[in-house]
This record gives sequence, structure tokens and C-alpha cells, in this order.
Amino acid sequence: MSHRLGMFRMPSAQMRGQGLRNQRIHTHLMEMMLHLKQTIEKNLMHLTTRHLQQDLVLEEQRHSQAASEQEALLGRLMYQLVNLLQSGAMGGLGLQPSCPSLDVRHDVRGGQWAQSPRQPDWPVHQLSDLEATFVSQHLSSRGIDISALYHSSFQDYKIYQRDKYHEDKNTMGFINLGLSENKLCLDLMTERLSQSDMNYIEDDLLQYPDWRGQPFLREEVARFLTYYCKVPDQLDPENVVVLNGCSSVFSTLAMVLCDPGEAFLIPAPFYGGFAFSACLYSKVELILVHLDSEVTDANPHPFQLTVDKLEQALLEARLTGKKVRGLILINPQNPLGDVYSRDSLQGYLEFAKKYHLHVIIDEIYMLSVFDEFITFHSVLSMESLPDPNRTHVIWGTSKDFGISGFRFGVLYTHNREVASAVSSFGYLHGISGIAQHKLCRLLQDREWIDKVYLPTYRSRLQIAHGYMTKKLEALGIPFLNRGSGLYIWMNLKMYLDPCTFEEELLLHRRFLDNKLILSRGRTYMCKEPGWFRITFADKPLLLKQAMHRFYQVLSEQKQDLIMKQLENAQRE
Amino acid sequence: MFTLPQKESKAPTTCPGPASTQDLDSNHGDGLERECSRKPDWKLPEFCGVGDPTATASSDSSHLSSRGSIIKWFWDSAEEGYRTYHMDEYDEDKNPSGIINMGTSENKLCFDLLSRRLSQSDMLRVEPSLLQYPDWRGHLFLREEVARFLSFYCKSPAPLKPENVVVLNGCASLFSALATVLCEVGEAFLIPAPYYGAITQHVYLYGGVRLVCVYLDSEVTRLDTRPFQLTVEKLEMALQRANFEGVKVKGLILINPQNPLGDIYSPGELRDYLEFAKRHKLHVMVDEVYMLSVFEKSAGYHSVLSLEGLPDPQRTHVMWATSKDFGMSGLRFGTLYTENRDVATAVASLCRYHGLSGLVQYQMAQLLRDRDWINQVYLPENHARLKAAHTYVAGELRALGIPFLGRGAGFFIWVDLRKYLPEATFKEEMLLWRRFLDNKVLLSCGKAFQCKEPGWFRLVFSDKAHRLCLGMQRVRQVLEGKSQVPDDPASCQSQESGNQRSGGETPPAVL
Repeated sequence: MSHRLGMFRMPSAQMRGQGLRNQRIHTHLMEMMLHLKQTIEKNLMHLTTRHLQQDLVLEEQRHSQAASEQEALLGRLMYQLVNLLQSGAMGGLGLQPSCPSLDVRHDVRGGQWAQSPRQPDWPVHQLSDLEATFVSQHLSSRGIDISALYHSSFQDYKIYQRDKYHEDKNTMGFINLGLSENKLCLDLMTERLSQSDMNYIEDDLLQYPDWRGQPFLREEVARFLTYYCKVPDQLDPENVVVLNGCSSVFSTLAMVLCDPGEAFLIPAPFYGGFAFSACLYSKVELILVHLDSEVTDANPHPFQLTVDKLEQALLEARLTGKKVRGLILINPQNPLGDVYSRDSLQGYLEFAKKYHLHVIIDEIYMLSVFDEFITFHSVLSMESLPDPNRTHVIWGTSKDFGISGFRFGVLYTHNREVASAVSSFGYLHGISGIAQHKLCRLLQDREWIDKVYLPTYRSRLQIAHGYMTKKLEALGIPFLNRGSGLYIWMNLKMYLDPCTFEEELLLHRRFLDNKLILSRGRTYMCKEPGWFRITFADKPLLLKQAMHRFYQVLSEQKQDLIMKQLENAQRE
Repeated sequence: MFTLPQKESKAPTTCPGPASTQDLDSNHGDGLERECSRKPDWKLPEFCGVGDPTATASSDSSHLSSRGSIIKWFWDSAEEGYRTYHMDEYDEDKNPSGIINMGTSENKLCFDLLSRRLSQSDMLRVEPSLLQYPDWRGHLFLREEVARFLSFYCKSPAPLKPENVVVLNGCASLFSALATVLCEVGEAFLIPAPYYGAITQHVYLYGGVRLVCVYLDSEVTRLDTRPFQLTVEKLEMALQRANFEGVKVKGLILINPQNPLGDIYSPGELRDYLEFAKRHKLHVMVDEVYMLSVFEKSAGYHSVLSLEGLPDPQRTHVMWATSKDFGMSGLRFGTLYTENRDVATAVASLCRYHGLSGLVQYQMAQLLRDRDWINQVYLPENHARLKAAHTYVAGELRALGIPFLGRGAGFFIWVDLRKYLPEATFKEEMLLWRRFLDNKVLLSCGKAFQCKEPGWFRLVFSDKAHRLCLGMQRVRQVLEGKSQVPDDPASCQSQESGNQRSGGETPPAVL
């Protein structure tokens, strides 16, 4: 996939310390490539000269020894290359501690990161340690891919895990507004989950479960979704499968709906987790339906999804021989925050039906619509689904209830075949019986959800969103003003010169240097550079601190841009 | 890619020698998979009788991918015995004539102790960090506790390190993740058979990895001093044969204490197996999920982690879970210990899909930390109860003159019912299994463990006395030909017509 290359692409601009660093990496890379070339040539020579030897047994031994040595050497070199490329993606974090008040501890750690993109206490991966990297030959090639992909996708998250901002204990820590996590209602959730009804143990909860999920939980989920999705008829618990998280649900769906190399359509920008899940286990391709920010006659709203665009993407994919098995929709959309109207939804589903596509619809933000003028329509609320046997709904508690650590995801599908096939994975994605009980109690407590939780949650979302949008407006930053989700999709194009993904990455790193994590458009496969997603579902104090850092970075960036333009002008 | 490797076409389908490759051969999938391996287009086989996959898979397969149909077949066939059981579960009061489950390896002897412990106030802590996205390897506090726990109970020479620990939702996930990061699709692990059959599914579903059986014999000879003894020679032969057939073997799975044999490997044997693996650069996955369920002190259990100087520490990966030793199969907690950081990292990369709830992680840490309760209350009581139950069942079997294995570990006895088969075929084994089920007792038959000799059954004894007593009574009735429920001639007939080969039947799933 081309996006993966994009992550590793080196910036061309010689800026600050990064230019130097990139140059160094570049030289290093060239050297290693050369070494690799020589090794391969040597290997080839060995192979071709082989028949000249007389003693076959001896030759066989010598040959296999040489081969395994060279295999090891090659493996080592390749691994180093991957390492280098990744450290390139990580960039000069720490080389340029732009926060002057950084204490020594952070400086030291920054220095280590500069050496290796991985955790400083995992010396195995440090470039200098040849012997240690040697062990990578223990992994299968897909194992190496999995590790590498994970590292490149979750670097920011890991840094954050190690050095989290805390208002008292670690004010210099990272603030993570790149992760879409709802931290607004932890007080309410903690209190609710501490109530005595939650703590119930019985034999059944400790025994092998029904792998689709305990019947009591599936019944509750069916009732819950019937109510909150405004379903005309009662949903059937037999159509519910619960697994440990929505990623697991998607992963299993990809397994049972597609064979390797087959594809799903997905409108971009979209939540990067899908790309990750698609290639990690299931090896399914994603065909992007690129959306434009520009408003035109054909595109009345920024990033609007239309059936025409879907159709075009599908036909183009088919022309190249791709087998497209389905369409992925996220509603409310992540990262755009769009909520699809009933008519649009109907249109997309009709399109899918026309081409016999499955529709996987992720409604994980369905209760996180905080603008009272926006009505969310679950696909389950439709009077008659165009193609019920190919419509599969995903929901979970991670976002709407802010309990991402609970690991709970739901599949609702009318298609029993799909439900059964997904259930085969129950073993591998099972949820603890104890947790299933707690979830059941939580979903059951309609009174608390409707009268306490949801009103508070939504009003806090509204306030946080209001604060953030006001700040952005003050800075003159364009953004999509939507009333759902935990994040805002904003356009920082004016801070990029030239407007490229390389510059986007550099700006992203600049935020990191200032201990602020955002997520950049590239990770959502946005085709226009300069877009960022910023999460606002956090405490006011933290948001304030974050926006302070945000402002600082952008002023620095602006300064640099002016300098650069001056230099260019002088040169001309 | 998930397509079946071309290698398989080379594999002989006749004459399964001592090390014939199990083409994703499973506890349930034998006929199906073998058939599939011959047909590159993944058409499901014509296959009738028990757990007929064509009935469901071909009905509307347009909705599922090819691999999806196979995956679904696992579910459908796994359901077979258990669907019958779940529809008619024994209950002392409500359904006294219901089915007694002596097939699932679960410890039901200590719920009282466990529920009391898990209900104590220290278990009930809820804090925000437990509700948020975790460290995918498992919360640090839990990994630290696991390291301490394993250091102590495995008697490791040096303290184990938390950074070598990865926590996920059960050993099934661990098998799946290890298969994925250690093997390419179509590569294989060696496994001594009979073995816990579900592993086939675990390594296959996502990983597309197959198991190569190292078949063990019940017969005692000059070389094999005990029945089903694993020797390095057998490992070597199985490996050679797999190589010969073009199957690339990447590792060896050992279960210690063994399931279903209840066997325990001596430190000397363990070291031999590990040396064998080292010679051939094989990874060794040691599943020690029954390590604290050794109720006979004389059995002398040794964890692989207790060995001084592992032959190949970078290729030795240890698995443990609370499912068996703490009788909590529903809790879904499993852990990997490996000194190989690359493997740990790669497995952790998959933990996004195999995570367990933060609150449960906290409870597990509390449980593992409570050494007083474990050592003074739980383990002595658990072992005493296991021993009593074992003694009872063993006594019953002796009275019936039935040979069996059971070496003081695990929840089961490996029972030799060969003399009750009119013919030594898996078809007869299946018929006997069905007679047990018809007489309302669920057992697991040897085929489900890939045992190569028909007529072996695994009998789980870790249940309450009254259920055990009733279960044994029903077993006896069947063996003495006094079943209360007459055989259903119709069901027998449909099986006969559908199964030309003795191996083509669907044995019950094994948990």
C-alpha cells in the first residue's frame, strides 16, 4: 500500500537539525544498500561456482553453512534498513528540544529516541547493537511486517504511554490529542462501575462461555441497540456476536468476507485503524474513495461522499482486476465528524446492493452526537434494509462510554452464516465473563444512561467542542464544524510551504517536539496534505495547556515560513 | 496468503505413517481439510453424516469468502456435541436426566473458594487508568505480578522479567499470535499426538499454520518404557518425514503436564526435547497451563523455566493461564513468557486484537499477588479435591477392568476402551461416543486428540461428587450394554451411509 511508503518518505527540505539528521540517515542507507548489493552478488557467485567442487558432501556442507551465514547477514541488514527507515519516520524528535524548560531526564530520553524509534529500554532494537538485531531472524516475514507496521503506526502512542502529561506530577509530559479517547466522563463511569451490582461472581462467569458472548449479554445488547438505534422491530440476540473490541470485530469480518487480496471500498479520510486491521491478520486491501475538501457544484459539502464517487472508485478497481467484496462506512464519521442523512445512507446501501457488496458500518460514535440539531440515523433504524444479509453493524462501548480499556465490541448482522463464521473466532477474541457481567449491568441501566450519563456526557462534549472551536477560530484555522465525535478535523495547510506530506510530517514532529500529539491527515489517507485531527474530549485544564502548546508551535512554524520566504525572495 | 500451500499436493493422502502431516487436520476437520487439500478451488467436500459442512456452507456461500466458509465450518462442527449438551444440560433439580459433561476439561471443584476470593473488597477497585487504552502488552502492574508469580511457582533460577511477559485473553490467542509471527502460511509446528485438539483451530484460523503430528503408541516396548512415551527418535522421524514431504516445520509444541495423557516430562526428557529443537533451530512452545494442577506430589513437576541454562532461550516460549490452574476458563487470561524480545514485541503487536479488560487485569494481579491464600487455602484444597475425585473415578475404572493412564496431573484420565470396539476403527469409536451421549454422558474420544489408535477416550473428573457418580454410572451402563436409552437406529444409519473412511467422521469438539 502506498500509504505505508508515505510514512517513511524522507523530507527533502533541509530544515534545522533534521536536515543534518536526514542526510546522515541517507548516507547510512546508501552504505547499507551497497553492502546488501555486494552480499547478494557474493551469494550468487557462490551458487554459480558450486558445481566446480568435487567433493559433494563436503561441498553440500560448506554450501549450506555459507548460505545460512549469508541468510543471517542479509536478515540483519534488512532489519537495520527497516530500523533506519522507521527512525526516519520518527524524525528528529529530541534532537531539537524546542521546549526550553525540558528537564535533564527528558533530554536524555530524547537522545535515545533519536537513536532508535523504539522504547529506550528495549536496547535490542538499537542500531548499533548488531548482535541483538540478529535475533529478528526468529520471526516469520509476516511477523517482521507486523512488528514494523505496529511500530510505525503506534510510535506516538508509545512515547505517550511512557511520559504522560499529569497536571501535578508531570506537567512537561506529552498531551495526547491524537488519540480519540473520551476522557470526559471517567468520574461518572468510575462511580457507576464501583456500585455493588457490578461485583457479582457466579460459576457461569468463570466457565467456558458461549463463544458468541454470554446469552444474557447478547440479549441486553439486542435490547440496548433496539432502543438507541430506534429499530422498528426488536433485534434478535441470535444476530449478536460480542468480541473484545471493534478492531476484533472488523478483523474477523474481513477474514470471513474476503479472501486475501480481495478488497473493501472505504471513503477517505478514514480512521486508520481499519488500514491497520485490514493488513495485519486478514491481508485485505482497502480501495480508497477519495473525498475533496473543495466545495463545487458536484461537491456541495467538503469531503462529501456521493454515490457517484463510490461507483467510480468501484469501477476503477474492477478495471484493474480487483475483487471488491464490500464497503466500509463509519457513521458518525471519523475523522470528519459527519453524520449521514437518512437519504444518503439509503443511497450508499442501494449502491452496495446493486453491486452485491457487503456493507460494514461502524457506528461506534452513535451516542456521541452532541449537537441537538443533528439526528443520527442508525442503519438499524431503517424500515427495510436494502440488503439485510449483506449489512453488518459494528458498535462498542469504547467511545460512547469512554471505556476503551474494557475491550468490548459488538457485531449485529442478520446473516447467520456470517455470525457463525465470526463466532469461530470467539476463542481468540473472548471477553472475560466478569467483564461481560459488568457490561450487561451497564447497558441495562437505562435510567442512569438517559438521565445521568448521556446528558452530562453530551453537555461536556459541547463545552469542550465550543472551547476548542473558539480557539481555532481565533487562530484563523479552518475546520469542519460538526456536532458529533470526539475530535475536530482542521486544515493547517497555510502553515505548510510547500504544501506536501513531507511538510505535514515535519509539522507533526514539531508538535511532538513540543509534547503535543495530534494525528495528521496522512494517517487517515487524506489525499490533501495539511489536515490534522485534534481530539477535544478531555479535561478543560488539559485542553488549555494543549492549546497553549498548539499556539506556540504554530507561531514558530509561521516564523520559519516567513524566514524561508525571505530567503527565497533574496535568492531570486 | 491464505491459499493452501502447493506442498500439500505432494503429501501422500494414503498410508499415514508415524509422522503424516495433518493438513490443518483438526479435532473436527479431518475429512473436510483433506478433501480441501486436493481441490485448489476450495470447494467443500461431499461429506455427509455428522456435522455435514455442505449443508450449511454450500447453501449460500456467496456471502462468505472461501476461507470464511472453512472458518464457519469450524464453528458448526465444534457445536455438534456441545449443542446437544447445551440443549439438555444436567441440573440436579431442574434436569436430573440431562447430559453430564465429562468431556470439557474444566475444574469445577473450587468455585466456592474462587468466588469468595474474587468477591473480596480488594478486587473491586475501579480507576480511570483501567478504563482507558492500555499498554497492549498488558498493564505493567500485572506483568510485574506475573513475572513474580512464575518465578516463584516455576522455581526459576533467576527472577523472571516483566518485560518478557505479554498478557492476553487466553492461551488460544497466544497460540494464534505465535503461529502468526513465527510461521508463514502453510508452515507447520510439530506436536506429539494425542494432543489437545483445539490447538489445530487456534494456529489455523488466522495463522494458516498446520500441525505435524508426532504419533505416540500405547504399546510399551524396549524403547518406550511407558505408554505414549515421547522420545527424541520419534521427534526426529516426524521432522524428517515432514521435510521429506516438503512441509517446513518451524517449531515444536509441548504440553506439560500433557493433555490428554496427564503425562509429566522429567527434567531430563525436557532437556532432550529442547536440545532436539535447538539442533534443528525449532522454536519450542511449552504450554504449562496445568502446571499447578499436579495433585500427586510424587509426580515431581518441573517447569521449563526452572531449567538452569535453557538450550536455546531465544527460541523457547512458555505459556501459562489461569483457566485450568485457577478453574477460570471463562476469565480469559493467558500469558507468554519469552526472552526473545522480538517475539514478545511481535506478539504484543497483535494484542490490540487479544486484549483483556483493564478491570480484569487488576483482579488478576490481586489474585496472583495473594500468595498466602494461594499456598495456604487454594492449592491445598484444590489438590485434595482433585485427588479425591481422581481416586474415585480411577477406582470405578479399575472395578470395570478398564486400563487407563493418569499420572496425578490435570483434570482427566486417558481411558483405553479399545476392547469395547467390535472393530478397531474410528467409526466404531464414534459410535461408542454417541452411545455415551445417548446415555446422557458426554466424553471426548481419541480422534478429537488425533490419537492414532481408535478406542481411547478422555474422561474429565474435576467435577462435583454427585455429578461424577452419576456420570460414571452412565458410563458403566453403556459399557455393560445396559444403556437406558436405546440406540437411535436412524442416526447410526445416516452415519454409515456417509462415511466410507473411518477417519471421515466428526468427533466432538474438545475444550
